[in-house]
Amino acid sequence: MELKYRLISADSHAAFDRDAFTSRMSAKWGDRIPRVVEVEHDGCSVHRWTYYGNAPRPEGSGVCNCPALMEDRSFPHFPQRWEEVPRAAFDPQARLEALDTDGVDAEVLFHGPDVYEFSDADFELDFVRAANDAMGEWTQVSDRYLPLAQVPWLSGAQAVAREIGRAVVDCGHRGVHLHAQTPRPLPHLGDPYWDPVWAVCQELAVPVNFHGSAGLDAGVGKREARWRGYSPRQGHSAHVTPSCVTPAQVIPHLIFSGITERFPNLNFVFAESGIGGLTYALATCDHEWESRHLWTEGIATRPSDTVARQIYLNFWYEAAAPLLHHGGVDNIMWESDLPHIPCFYPKSREAAERVLEGVPTADRRKLLYENAARLYRLRLTGPAGGTPD
Amino acid sequence: MQLKHGLISVDDHVQESPDLWTSRLSARQWADRIPHLERASDGTERWVVDGTVVMDGYAARAGALMADRNREPTRWQEVPAGAYLPSERLKAMDAAGIDYSVLFPTVAGMAGETFGRIQDPELEVACVRAYNDWLIEEWAAPSNRFIAQCIVPIWPPEATVAEIQRAVSRGHCGVVFPAVPMHLRDVPHIGEPDYDPVWAICEELEVPLCLHTGSSPQLQYAPFTGLAPTLAEALNAVSRPVSGIFVISLYSFSRVLLRHPRLQVIFAESALGWGKTYMEKADLEFDHDGLAREGYELTPSELFHRQCYFTSWFDDLALFIPYLGADHILWSANLPLTSSTWPRTQEVVERCCRGVSDEARQQVLWKNAARLYRLPSAD
Repeated sequence: MELKYRLISADSHAAFDRDAFTSRMSAKWGDRIPRVVEVEHDGCSVHRWTYYGNAPRPEGSGVCNCPALMEDRSFPHFPQRWEEVPRAAFDPQARLEALDTDGVDAEVLFHGPDVYEFSDADFELDFVRAANDAMGEWTQVSDRYLPLAQVPWLSGAQAVAREIGRAVVDCGHRGVHLHAQTPRPLPHLGDPYWDPVWAVCQELAVPVNFHGSAGLDAGVGKREARWRGYSPRQGHSAHVTPSCVTPAQVIPHLIFSGITERFPNLNFVFAESGIGGLTYALATCDHEWESRHLWTEGIATRPSDTVARQIYLNFWYEAAAPLLHHGGVDNIMWESDLPHIPCFYPKSREAAERVLEGVPTADRRKLLYENAARLYRLRLTGPAGGTPD
Repeated sequence: MQLKHGLISVDDHVQESPDLWTSRLSARQWADRIPHLERASDGTERWVVDGTVVMDGYAARAGALMADRNREPTRWQEVPAGAYLPSERLKAMDAAGIDYSVLFPTVAGMAGETFGRIQDPELEVACVRAYNDWLIEEWAAPSNRFIAQCIVPIWPPEATVAEIQRAVSRGHCGVVFPAVPMHLRDVPHIGEPDYDPVWAICEELEVPLCLHTGSSPQLQYAPFTGLAPTLAEALNAVSRPVSGIFVISLYSFSRVLLRHPRLQVIFAESALGWGKTYMEKADLEFDHDGLAREGYELTPSELFHRQCYFTSWFDDLALFIPYLGADHILWSANLPLTSSTWPRTQEVVERCCRGVSDEARQQVLWKNAARLYRLPSAD
């Protein structure tokens, strides 16, 4: 891939075109196939996605979650009708222009509807395959796209592992998007039941990526962020702010559940979480490991060594310098979060410079593109390129 | 106030004695619903409150004082005296270099949450009052090095207010409030104005509101149930302090802090690493969600700098003071929990204070606490 801007986003979002599923999923699902439909909202006819034939909620984030690409940025605006959706949200060709505007060389892409929860395993499997196929096509448009595969949870660990293999080998996915909270009634993420999933990711050398709250039930759920006089925007802030501690919640589980011991070459990424949870996780995990002699419990590696070896975190809004004192310069990657609310598009570069104040040049390169290029195995070319070590 | 070591630990826990409630509550009225130690068939002893086993079935939480830090006491006779005897606790404080200790409960909940789960408000109040009286009589009265904080009945607010008034008049210096009462029983959400009288009485009496982590398991990512107990304990110890972020996020965005500018809120057992990031993330969301248009006069970081405090016991202060401010950080030893720095508390303090000015160091280690708890002759 040609490196022009020296900036790779390790967390951006791609939306699906409105016919992504109707054109790919088996006709046997009929009206259950995800698609865009007309609904009434505040006396207007608006568009919303429907999944599995369920009635869409007309309130919420419009027909596409892309406020950063909308014309008016003074307040979060979500397109209400499909015609209003900027093409850069769902069209890989149009997206390239947005990347150039923002000065970003490549982006790791999460995809999928904001929230979906299926109870039908066959449907979920078909849906996930369609989603992974659709995103695989982005990689044929440009090598600047690095999509992450979704997984068919309800079909169980073996099927999840198979779909990861298919998505990576056949479709060009560069990693896997998992939730830390597995859907009920499946086993806890710390259960060795999931070992086939860790094994395939380690074997294919693709990282496991958690995003935002990683789907954790713990904390201020959407229901929790409501009170009399509450507004959707306040609720959104109350609900999403704490996702900056997701790494502090999940890293200890990966280590103390023995996953990182059993799979020492497997990498994990925390996207849209920030890096502030890292110093906490390192200090407290080491403290527990030392004071409880956890090497006698099968955790042979010091937690901070495990983190350095296997775990990556993304940043974009935090002053990075103080957080690099305890290590992590090889494990931190910049992200844009395009086109969601917290993103600084089209001034991502400027925002990155602001939070990098006080960080030495060699470290900046690692944070801005070298770490991501190494982890997602990009071969960089062009005047600014050269293969990072 | 006299300082020998220059440290006020703002977050330590007392271990309630076995007869605390049985000697103070009417046996005729409450019988075995009274909190008590009960011997199980395997000979272990555990606390039972209104028919429910609490504290994960342990007799006490005192890992730091146990010979093996991985073993919590399962019988009362194993409980180290430094956990429940004030005279022995003072010796432990001397050994660790702690001048004053701000006290939180253990059986009554790390965050004072245990009795909020009792469905009968009359029994709830009786349990709360007994603890508050005991803490003054057994701990605060014998030594002024113990700073007592009351626990409260969570509902109705008139009962909460009345107990705060009573307890403060008896010598309590702070209010331990289980941050999310709506997780304990069916009471309104903490963002509702119903609780305003509670916040108002804290403002009026000038006592800090202490929101210790551990108020609700719903705020923590539970370990895999098949995990070895030691690993599960380690995970819980790491998970609990992180849950404080959900609390500060709720209290900030639901306008509790905004409506009560003189309310001083201590997020006990939080941490600075995530504290810095919380403020940066909250301000970012505040800005991108356009909340200035929705009647918020202050950003989350402005609210923090006006009236909030994070606590730490292991963080590198020099890194975080520029963001949080030396005047909004407090220090703790976490006695006698396994996560405590005891007995190396002063050694850890020295490491954490490297590169910090004398003034900032004093603010964090004792001046802020002395001001908040209004210790005599504190500047």
